[in-house]
Amino acid sequence: MEILKVKNVSVSYGKKIAIKNASFSLKDQEILGFIGADGAGKSSLLHAIAGVVSFDGEIIYKNYTYHSPKEAEKIKNEISLMPQGLGLVLYDFLSVKEHFDFFRDLRGLKKDEEYEKRLLKMAGLYEFQDRLAGNLSGGMRQKLSLILSLLARPKLLILDEPTTGVDPISRAELWDIVNEMREEGMSAIISTAYMSEASKMDRIMLFDEGEIIASGRADELIENIKDYTYEGEIESKECFSFNKRTYCLKPLNLKKATPTLEGVFFVNALKKGKKPIIFEIPKKQIDIPNIIVEAKCLTKKFGAFIADNCINLELKKGEILGLLGANGAGKTTLIKMLLGLYPIDEGELYLLGKRIKSYEDRIELKSKIGYVSQKFALYKDLTIRENLEYFAKMHGLNMSESSKKIKEYSQMLGFEEYMDNFPKEVPLGINQRFSVAAALLHEPVVLFLDEPTSGVDTVARSAFWKLIRKLKANMGISILITTHYMSEAEYCDRVAVLKRGVKIVDDKVENLHKKYPGLDFEDIFLNIYKEKQNK
Amino acid sequence: MKLNVIRAYLKKEFIDLIRNKMIILTYLIPTMILILFGYGIKLEVTHTRTIIIDHDHSKLSLEIINKFSHTKYFDVKVKNLTYKQALHKIQTNQADMIVIIPPSFSKNLYKGAEIGVFIDGSFPLRAVTLQGYVEKLLIHGFNIKLPIKIENRNFFNESMRDYNAVVPGLFGLIFLVVPASLAAIIIVKEKEVGTIFNFYSAPIKKVEFIIAKLIPPFLFHSLNIFILLLWTLYLFNVPFRGNFFIFWLVSEIYILISVGIGLLVSIITSTQVAALVLSVIITVIPGFLYSGILMPISSMDKESYIEAHIFPVMYYNHIIYDSFLVGQGFKSNENVLYFIILCIYAVALIVLGTSLVKKAIK
Repeated sequence: MEILKVKNVSVSYGKKIAIKNASFSLKDQEILGFIGADGAGKSSLLHAIAGVVSFDGEIIYKNYTYHSPKEAEKIKNEISLMPQGLGLVLYDFLSVKEHFDFFRDLRGLKKDEEYEKRLLKMAGLYEFQDRLAGNLSGGMRQKLSLILSLLARPKLLILDEPTTGVDPISRAELWDIVNEMREEGMSAIISTAYMSEASKMDRIMLFDEGEIIASGRADELIENIKDYTYEGEIESKECFSFNKRTYCLKPLNLKKATPTLEGVFFVNALKKGKKPIIFEIPKKQIDIPNIIVEAKCLTKKFGAFIADNCINLELKKGEILGLLGANGAGKTTLIKMLLGLYPIDEGELYLLGKRIKSYEDRIELKSKIGYVSQKFALYKDLTIRENLEYFAKMHGLNMSESSKKIKEYSQMLGFEEYMDNFPKEVPLGINQRFSVAAALLHEPVVLFLDEPTSGVDTVARSAFWKLIRKLKANMGISILITTHYMSEAEYCDRVAVLKRGVKIVDDKVENLHKKYPGLDFEDIFLNIYKEKQNK
Repeated sequence: MKLNVIRAYLKKEFIDLIRNKMIILTYLIPTMILILFGYGIKLEVTHTRTIIIDHDHSKLSLEIINKFSHTKYFDVKVKNLTYKQALHKIQTNQADMIVIIPPSFSKNLYKGAEIGVFIDGSFPLRAVTLQGYVEKLLIHGFNIKLPIKIENRNFFNESMRDYNAVVPGLFGLIFLVVPASLAAIIIVKEKEVGTIFNFYSAPIKKVEFIIAKLIPPFLFHSLNIFILLLWTLYLFNVPFRGNFFIFWLVSEIYILISVGIGLLVSIITSTQVAALVLSVIITVIPGFLYSGILMPISSMDKESYIEAHIFPVMYYNHIIYDSFLVGQGFKSNENVLYFIILCIYAVALIVLGTSLVKKAIK
C-alpha cells in the first residue's frame, strides 16, 4: 500500500530552483534513501514533504492531498522531521529528560513510561537522562534527536542526513533504531551523503543539481551501469576514474568490473556530456627535510573539555596524511594548533625541523605552509579573481607575479572560465579548487586541508582527489587532509584516526588493508572503534 | 489553543533563561540604565563661576550678592572690573556668568531698574537653565521684573530636583528597549540554532508559539516595574503622587508594546546579534529623544513634534510623570486618551506581528 505520493514537486528560493519536478511514491514500511551532494535538492524535497517550506506541485499522504505548508498542518501529527545538523532540534541548556517533557507537551502526548524507557535504552541514553544536551557528544545528540522524533510514534519519519559527521558506532546504532521502528509499521525517507549507506535502504533515489537522476533498488542501479564500468584507473578526456574503477560510455579495452553506486553519478555526468578535468601540473623539485611536521604530545583544552589529548603526529616529505574522525573528534583543533591559530597547551611542535615556540617562529614558517580552512575562507563579495589577487597580496607577491600565477593556477586547476564569478554563483567543487589555488599561490611545501570534500558531489570529489595526488607527485609537497568520509582514507598514504581527542589509529593504508583483509574502510574503522570501546 | 504547547515552551524558556544566565541581564540592565542615567544626566547646574560687579554699593545690592552667594548654584566673586574685562573673563573661560549691578540701582528700583546678566552661551542648555535660576532668584527674592517668562518645566518640580525630572522619564526608555530586545532574541535564537524546526514540523498553531514566546519577556519585565519603582522611590527619593494601579497597568501595556516590537524585529532578522542591534537601535533613539527628559514635547518643533507623536514613549511617559509628580490619573482626559492610544499600539503591534510570522522556511 502506498503511504505517500509526490507529484511534480518543485521548490525554489527566489530565482534559485532547489528541486525540480520531483515525483515518486513511498510504500508502507519502506525505507527510501535520498543520496546526493550538498545543494542537490534533497533537503528541499524533504522539507516540502514535511510541510515546512512552500512548494509547487502536489503531495498526497494516505488520502490527504496538500499543496502548501498550511494544508500540511493536518498531517503533521503523523509525520516527524529531523532536520540536518548534529542535534539541531535540541536545546543546549535542557537535559535529556527535559527534552522528553518538552516534546511530549509540544505534541500533546500522554506520558508513556514504557515506550520512553525503551527509546532511551535503544539510544543508549538511559543513564544520561540528567545530562544537558549541550554536554552530549555529536553521536549522542543525533540519537537523542532521533528518539525525540519517534516520541509521537510517527507513521512517516523524515531524516535529513542523520549520519553526516557522526562516528561509525553511533551511525550503526541510528540505523538499528530506524529498522526496529520500521518493523512496527513506520515508513521512512532518509537522506545521506554516504553512498555506503545505500545498502541499508529498500530503495534509493539519486539527486544531482536539483534533479532526481535515478531511482530504484541499489543493486538495480548498479546493474544498469555495469556495461560502462572497467577495472583500474586511466587518464582520459572521455572517462571518469575513481576508486580503482573507470567509467566510460564508449567501449574500452579493459576488464569489466562490478560497479559501485558512485558510478551512477559518473555515468550520469558522462551522459550529460560532462568531461573530466585533466590537471596539468608541472614537475618540480623542492628541497625540504624528510619530516615536515612533528607533533609531540600536543594537548588543547577548552575549560574542562579536552579537545586534543596528547597527540603525536608526524608528516613526512611527499606524503598524504589523512586525519579522520567524526565531528567533534578534535581534527580542526589539531590543525589549528599546527598552524598556530590556537596556542598549544602542552606538548612540542616542530615544523621543518625547527621547534616552534613563539609567534615569531611561526611567522617565519607561514610562507612554507598553505592552508584551506573548513567551508573555505573566501570573501563572498569579491569575484574569484579578486579573491585570488587579495590572497596573493597578502603573501607579498607583486602585481605581475601574482597575475601570472593566478592565470597559471586557474588553467592548471580548471576554473579559468569562472574567474569573474562570485564564489556563491559557482558549484562547491569549483570553490574547493580555487581555495586550493589560493593556498598554493605562495608556493608552500606543505598543504593543510580542513574538510575540503564535505558536501561536495562525487564527480567533483573524484577530481579533487586526483588533483591532490598529482600535486603531491609532481610538486613534491606534503599534504595533511581532514575528512569525515571514512572511505576517503583509500586515497591517503597514511591515516590517523581521532576519537574524542585521542588518536586511536595511525598507520599506512596498505597495512590496514593487510590487517583487515577484504573490508572497506567504513568497516575497518567500525571494527577499530569497537575494539577500542571494548578495551 | 492548546495549553500544553504553551506550557511546554514556557517551561523550556524559563529553564533556558535561567541556565544560560540571561536572567541576570534581564534584571541587571534596567537597573543599570536607571542608575547610570539617573545619576548621569544632570540638567541641574551648580557651582557656576559667577562674577558680580557691584557699581551700586547699596544695601539692596549687597543683599543680592548675598542671595547669589548662599546657594549651591553659584560660586560668587565680587570684583571691580570694566565691562570689557568681564567679557574677556567669559571668553577665556574663567567665568560662566557675569552680573552687573548698575550705579544707583536701588534708587531706580521702582522706576524700572535693570540688572545686566551675561551668561556663557557655549552650552545652550546650561545657559537657559542659568537664566531660569537668575530670573527665579530675582523675581522671588526682590520682585524685580524681567522681560522673560519662566519655563513650565519646573512647575511640578518645586524643589527643582533633577531626579524628579529625569528618573521617571527613564521608565519609557527602559521598558521600550529591554523587553523588545529580550523578546527578539528568544525568538530569533530558535531560528539561528535551528530549533525553530520543532515549531515548523509539529502540529502547533502560530498563535500558540507566539504567545508562548512573548510571555517570558513580558513576565520577567513585569517584575522590573516594581524593582524600578523601588529604586525611584527609595534611591532617588522621587515622590509618588498618582494612582499605583494606573501606573502598574499602563506599564504592563507598555511592555506589551515593547515585546510586540521585538516580535516584529524577530521576523526580519535571523541571527541573535542582528536582532539585538536592530531592536536596540529602533527603540533607544526614540525612547530617549521623545521621553521628555531632555525637552518637553510641547516645546518641540513641528517635525520633531510629529515624530514624537508617532512613538509610544511620549504617551507612556506622560502618564508616568503624572503618576510620580502630579497625580491627576484618569481625571485628566489627556491621560485617558493616551492610555487608549497605548492599548491600540499594543494590540496593533502584536496582531501585525502574528500575521507576519510564517510557519515555514523562507
